[in-house]
Amino acid sequence: MATQMISLSDDSREYSVKVVWTGGKSGDVLVSDKPTIRTGSPPEFGGTREFHSPEDLFVASASVCFMDSFVVFTEKMHIRFESFEVETKGLMEKVGRSYEITRLHMKTKVVIESEDLRSKMTRALELGAKYCYVANSMKCPTEHENEIVVR
Amino acid sequence: MYSQVRTLSQESHEYRVQVDWTHDRVGDLLVEEKPTMKVSAPPEFEGPEGIISPEDLFVAAATSCFMTTFVTFSKKMRFDFKSFTCQGMGTLQKLERGFEFTKLLLKTKVVVDSKETKPKAEKALELAGKYCLVSNSMKCPTEHENIVIVG
Repeated sequence: MATQMISLSDDSREYSVKVVWTGGKSGDVLVSDKPTIRTGSPPEFGGTREFHSPEDLFVASASVCFMDSFVVFTEKMHIRFESFEVETKGLMEKVGRSYEITRLHMKTKVVIESEDLRSKMTRALELGAKYCYVANSMKCPTEHENEIVVR
Repeated sequence: MYSQVRTLSQESHEYRVQVDWTHDRVGDLLVEEKPTMKVSAPPEFEGPEGIISPEDLFVAAATSCFMTTFVTFSKKMRFDFKSFTCQGMGTLQKLERGFEFTKLLLKTKVVVDSKETKPKAEKALELAGKYCLVSNSMKCPTEHENIVIVG
């Protein structure tokens, strides 16, 4: 069975997932109490298209962490936004004899209610990026292109 | 709109994902042609229970990449295996600048049907650890504990 997240202390947390091979280049990712993620190699590495690839998950982990980190700062700053979306591109390149993700590019669009919120929202996006601990755990740099639109 | 993976050349690929915020610390992860995944901050960072978190995705990316890389080497080395399961554990630690993943531990169990295949499977696991592009894209070291069983 997949085991649960164990909180070691306030300063350290452990996350556990289990991957069970299901055939070909596919497998199930099991995280305790959460929906199963079906994964597999992307077509360019001899797999199928319908499952999330490890590369998708990698790019997704930084994107979702950035969203959460941004939300945390908007709460701390007591500001509200109408919508948030981020589109992330991850570039994988050959480095030496192997591949690596060498760059992440995040294009974010935030919709706000009034112009007065713009500077605070810009700050929340900046801080969200700075404290995104998943992106901070990756070797590659993350570039941000932010757009703030008044509804 | 989010678009497909684009092959730039044989040596580089681009991966695209989109995250749309829905409410609180919850959003939808969109990858073209793949099932939409609900994502959120984990409960220890004030998210709801039961939803895949960025931390889960980070650990899952490395764990599933290790699996697909192992499958690739098993094909190159022309051997079959009966099952593969890998438990991935990631440690998130508070450093000066904020949290970061400082360690990944992958505990893998492979079942093969003959004694002759065992050394090949062990070699394939070793090579998969070395060429796993996702863990090679992370700052933290990855430790492996492999066991190959004849059964």
